[in-house]
Amino acid sequence: MKCYTPVIYKGLSPCKPNAIKSAVLQSEQVQYVIKQLAKEMGESPDIIQEEATEILDEMGHRMQLGAVRFFAFTLSKIFKQLFQRVCVNEEGMQRLQHAIQEHPVVLLPSHRSYVDFLMLSYLLYTYDLALPVIAAGIDFLGMKIVGELLRRAGAFFMRRSFGGNRLYWAVFAEYVKTMLRSGYAPIEFFLEGTRSRTAKTLTPKFGLLSIVMEPFFKREVFDTYLVPISISYERILEESLYAYELLGVPKPKESTSGLLKARRILSDNFGTIHIYVGQPVSLRTLASGRINRCPYNLVPRHLPQKPSEDIQEFVSDVAYKMELLQIENMVLSPWVLVAAVLLQNLPAMEFELLIEKTLWLKGLTQTFGGFIEWPDNLCAKKAVLSGLTLHSNIASLVDGHVVLNDKGMEDGAVGEMVFRHALAVLMCATYRNQLLNVFVRPALVAIALQMAPSFRKEEVYSCFNFLRDVFSDEFIFFPGISLKDFEEGCFLLTKCDAIQTSQQEIYPTDKGSGTVSFLSAMFRPFVEGYQLIFRYLSKEMKEAFTEKQFIPGVRNFVFQLLEKGSTQCYEALSSDMQKNALSALVQLGAVKKKKMPSGFTYNVNQEAVSKILDMFDDSADAIPEHNEFLFPEYEILIEPEEPEFPADSTDDEQGAEDTSKGAKEQEELGAAGTADEAFQSLDEETLEAMAKHETEEEKIFQMFKKQVAAEPEQIIRYCRGGEGPLWVSGENRPEEKDIPNCVCGAKRIFEFQIMPQLLNHLQVDSLGESIDWGTLVVYTCADSCGGGSEYLEEFIWKQDYSMGCTL
Amino acid sequence: LEQASRWECDCFPKPYNRKAFWICSMLILSLMFFFPLRQELLKWNGWGYNDSKFIFNKKGQAEFTGKRYRLGGMVLPTFKEWIEKTFGASLEHKTTSRASLNVNDVPPSIVNEEFLQDLRATKISYSQDAEDRVFRAHGHCLHEIFVLREGMFKRIPDIVVWPVCHEDVVKIVELACKHNLCIIPFGGGTSVSSALECPEEEKRTIVSLDTSQMNRILWIDEKNLTACVEAGIVGQDLEKQLAESGFCTGHEPDSMEFSSLGGWVATRASGMKKNIYGNIEDLVIHIKMVTPRGIVEKNCQVPRMSTGPDIHHFIMGSEGTLGVVTEVTIKIRPVPEYQKYGSVVFPNFERGVACLREVAKILRALFASICLFLLFAKGHALKPQVASIFTSFLDGLKKFYITKFKGFDPNILCVATLLFEGDREKVLQHEKQVYDIATKFGGLAAGEDNGQRGYMLTFVIAYLRDLGLDYYVIGESFETSVPWDRVLDLCRNVKERIVRECKEKGVQFAPLSTCRVTQTYDAGACVYFYFAFNYRGISDPIHVYEQIERAAREEILANGGSLSHHHGVGKLRKRWMKESISDVGLGMLRSVKEYVDPNNIFGNKNLL
Ligand SMILES: Cc1cc2nc3c(=O)[nH]c(=O)nc-3n(C[C@H](O)[C@H](O)[C@H](O)COP(=O)(O)OP(=O)(O)OC[C@H]3O[C@@H](n4cnc5c(N)ncnc54)[C@H](O)[C@@H]3O)c2cc1C
Repeated sequence: MKCYTPVIYKGLSPCKPNAIKSAVLQSEQVQYVIKQLAKEMGESPDIIQEEATEILDEMGHRMQLGAVRFFAFTLSKIFKQLFQRVCVNEEGMQRLQHAIQEHPVVLLPSHRSYVDFLMLSYLLYTYDLALPVIAAGIDFLGMKIVGELLRRAGAFFMRRSFGGNRLYWAVFAEYVKTMLRSGYAPIEFFLEGTRSRTAKTLTPKFGLLSIVMEPFFKREVFDTYLVPISISYERILEESLYAYELLGVPKPKESTSGLLKARRILSDNFGTIHIYVGQPVSLRTLASGRINRCPYNLVPRHLPQKPSEDIQEFVSDVAYKMELLQIENMVLSPWVLVAAVLLQNLPAMEFELLIEKTLWLKGLTQTFGGFIEWPDNLCAKKAVLSGLTLHSNIASLVDGHVVLNDKGMEDGAVGEMVFRHALAVLMCATYRNQLLNVFVRPALVAIALQMAPSFRKEEVYSCFNFLRDVFSDEFIFFPGISLKDFEEGCFLLTKCDAIQTSQQEIYPTDKGSGTVSFLSAMFRPFVEGYQLIFRYLSKEMKEAFTEKQFIPGVRNFVFQLLEKGSTQCYEALSSDMQKNALSALVQLGAVKKKKMPSGFTYNVNQEAVSKILDMFDDSADAIPEHNEFLFPEYEILIEPEEPEFPADSTDDEQGAEDTSKGAKEQEELGAAGTADEAFQSLDEETLEAMAKHETEEEKIFQMFKKQVAAEPEQIIRYCRGGEGPLWVSGENRPEEKDIPNCVCGAKRIFEFQIMPQLLNHLQVDSLGESIDWGTLVVYTCADSCGGGSEYLEEFIWKQDYSMGCTL
Repeated sequence: LEQASRWECDCFPKPYNRKAFWICSMLILSLMFFFPLRQELLKWNGWGYNDSKFIFNKKGQAEFTGKRYRLGGMVLPTFKEWIEKTFGASLEHKTTSRASLNVNDVPPSIVNEEFLQDLRATKISYSQDAEDRVFRAHGHCLHEIFVLREGMFKRIPDIVVWPVCHEDVVKIVELACKHNLCIIPFGGGTSVSSALECPEEEKRTIVSLDTSQMNRILWIDEKNLTACVEAGIVGQDLEKQLAESGFCTGHEPDSMEFSSLGGWVATRASGMKKNIYGNIEDLVIHIKMVTPRGIVEKNCQVPRMSTGPDIHHFIMGSEGTLGVVTEVTIKIRPVPEYQKYGSVVFPNFERGVACLREVAKILRALFASICLFLLFAKGHALKPQVASIFTSFLDGLKKFYITKFKGFDPNILCVATLLFEGDREKVLQHEKQVYDIATKFGGLAAGEDNGQRGYMLTFVIAYLRDLGLDYYVIGESFETSVPWDRVLDLCRNVKERIVRECKEKGVQFAPLSTCRVTQTYDAGACVYFYFAFNYRGISDPIHVYEQIERAAREEILANGGSLSHHHGVGKLRKRWMKESISDVGLGMLRSVKEYVDPNNIFGNKNLL
């Protein structure tokens, strides 16, 4: 048997679990609450004390080395059966070893599976480190034998909700703090509060974190180390269970027989587990400069005290920071990439194409800083194949095509098919989701680019901000630093050449359109899913409702749409998304959440929800169909005009010379594109030559056409102060007196003209009905007066096609 | 004139017999100026008397010189080893202080002639001598001593004046107002808050007003048990002279050999025996202070009055920013019939603190003093053999724990020293009570001698720093007050913070970082920290030191400790005043200053 002599906290005075319990019961903190409650309820403190003892017995762990050994033994057997490999970052374990000796340590693993804490304890045991005490959900206690065993292995149990129960809170908090202060053992709990069913990191819960931080705030300990730990599974043990759960098929209560059934899983293969023990983060360092006032100096430290706003904000920041650190060190397997590609190419995708796309996505993921575990030298094909083998329950290769395994035993009713397909999609999505944490910032910028009315930075940012707010429960964003997230997203997109930024603008590059559309397709299920859910809320929910009513309601709603085929967004069936969408609306103030004796109820503010929906709808298609009020949007590209000469030009040489002259002048001016240049090259002689066989009016129009032919889609010709515009007609040209001087007294000169082609683009080209012009010529102040920021009225001359001209 | 002053002071015998001296001086007072320069007895660049210091003798053993203290002449055989082990210091690496002041370095004295004329007319003694001015340009903070040894202050007083009575002070303040000068009162010069340092940017002439010649006991009122004393008297003289009439004040700060009554009032000082006698604020019955607005005092000398906020509390702790305290009526007590020392050893600091807390609760003011040392700071610091510095003290203890404490870890032992005063019966009764309580906390009585030696040590500890400075070791102590329930956390965290900061700042040897509890109250305790490190390899040790001390202070505040229990704020701790007493609080103090001294004559820039 292994000799287990763990390193321990330097300040530890060893004690038995029972000694901790009695210390907790005797503590001023607990005694204070007991007395308080006794007074309020008119009850004898003894009775309440007894209650406290019971709570403590229910909660407390009884770590025993024997049980730990037993666990270690069985676990090692089970793990060997289940998993191919467990990879650990050794230096992380070493850092942890130092940390444990120095200060109390809090382990914060990600939570994807029950395996998480078993694995972690097993690992610490193997590395001769102090075993953690673990905050586990009380539901474990339902499992008679296992619950007790877990308890002996160091788990302590907490009720899922005890907000209102002051005694429970006091006992629980004091229990945790006592263990922390004495350095009894590392404390382990899950910031996410529960296993993430979607493999996306859940928004953090703050309760336990603020409990473990309090001893530092009160300076009962010098420092506390927070250690983010990322546990990534190549294949998640509970994957299908989760998918069922998300679709509303109730989850079996934790029971020993359930675990026994789980043993059937043992024959299956679950691939590799990666455990990355992050750098221990010193709470003291985090707090330095953050919490200046000492809020606990003026009240005895044992009185229960609501943390100040400062502190609450700090706790929340730390929680997010830790989750982001977890995310940073999550390992992504090739299968994650495959899943992401596959989901965009349903129902079937050609195998070769899948490989190609996967490889492309690998590059992109690495650019975005994703941590991919791509087995050494493994060619893409093998990697994809091995992923398919491991996940053969989700997808398979049929006739050179990869398809989801969504067929039931027998193709039954439509409903059954929808359900089957949803199941497959959700399982697959669980893997794609692992990428989202890394992709969310650049992807939201990409979507914002498509949503925003123009490429101006502010507008793109404001769309980004909107999306970030809406998805604030769906993805992990550090509170408050929207702009930084935006900049990071832009930076990453620039890094992969998908966008370019200038001082004021952000626009997609030609090259990057693939990336941008991939990214937005990746997040489309969320954009569409949220829209569906919002639509449901704004249409169907007129009265106050509870979450219990909401979930099945929205599920039915989406289900029907899927059956009808009017949406393809299967992921909207996920209760996780539904809850997140609801809570986003609560945060955006579009839904009011009220606490009732029976639980929370919700009230929809229809108007606010439709407003949010509108924001989305604008973006749904990048170029909206013709709309009575709004013109579609375009980008204007400005290029200098290369003078081109018709082959039938009378004087080639001269033309050439003039061209070069024009080019030179253009260089001197350093200005772009130009009508005057055009005029210079079309000198008198050319005109005259033309005039020989055309009427005056036709001549001018022909010349106009020729000039425009070089760039037939042009909509603006710009040449400030040049010789003048390109006229469409000889008639109705302004004379000098027709152009009024500027308000400042200076002459107005030609600056640019708007071409009739614009009418085409704006889809206002139905003859006789739409507005119309030949050209619009804009004259502006020669002195550029008013140089500042205010708007000035300028002069515009509208010239129409001459009647006599026929096309 | 300078010549004259030298001559006059030379006619007096050197011995430090204040009383004889006072009688003589009274005799000739009307005849001529006199300048009894206490500074000649004292080190110019270190702590205490010239003849008393730690040295390494020819055998390389440490020795304390002079005959003033009981430790004098004793050899401390293992002290060298302790220094070497604790600090990684070596006797070969020695720094040497400048042997004497280089007068050329000293900033010139700039005093305008009109003022000098006016001053001469008052017949108040004064000096523009460089040594006199430098002597009054500092207190005893580490950085100040360091400057004395290796550099020079940027700004020092331009002139020193010696008023001999209240009226003299009134004249000086009037002249200062007339000529717009800056006055910095100087008592014993023991300040440890940079309170005496001259603000560098002060453009006006700075007058150091040395109160040392205002040192008479004006009267003793036995019926009311009060004495009216001039503010310049130093602690030991006050006690000696009162003792001749069978009285004492019982106010005994560790610096009582050199600090003055006026200084105590100006800094809100605290004495070791405050449990019985009270701190300065409890002792004072009446204060007379000369301010630019005039004289502030009360109309009667009563034990208590309800006349709005007590104006004494504007004066106490004013740190020389409002005016000069000239006369103080102070409570006196008959010299106690019986005095007894004692000591208790505890297995660890936690138990010791718990015991002190209990003693404070049960006995309150019935014992003079209890003081808890962490004997051997854990790990790297004071190892048992060390203790040689405290040889006699610890030898006794060592025997003691060897015989009785076999089971305990000597590295974390801690000892409380005790002092009882009063009538014999009561003393014995209280002593028993304390020992009974101590037993409950695992403490064992460790004898009278040990207790007495412990108290004696507090007077020589200050000399240690000078020795350290010779061997690249710099150190300082600082204090705070803290509620009982936070004492342990605060001690642990501050010590840890110091160790960490040292590491971060590149200090190569682990520092000495230890603490003791020196005063007990109903609601809390006063805690002292000792902190020293070897600075070899660090280019700017003082800066590093200051950063660490600052970090330690922030730690204290974050742990619910005060900015200061008795050393005061001075300029050293000003930055935290707002945090300590709130914006409004600071505003209240400011408005007092603005009213009393609108032209900032008392411009030492302390406190606010
Ligand atoms: C080794 C050592 C031990 C110490 N132990 C103690 C202790 O146990 N308890 C304690 O309380 N302090 C202690 N101190 C700190 C110091 O002794 C006290 O602050 C003391 O009260 C200062 O008195 P002083 O006469 O030396 O004043 P100084 O140092 O000369 O002056 C201190 C401040 O008071 C002002 N001042 C002085 N006299 C007057 C006056 N007459 N009118 C107006 N303002 C005046 C000065 O301008 C200056 O701002 C210790 C210091 C040292 C170096």
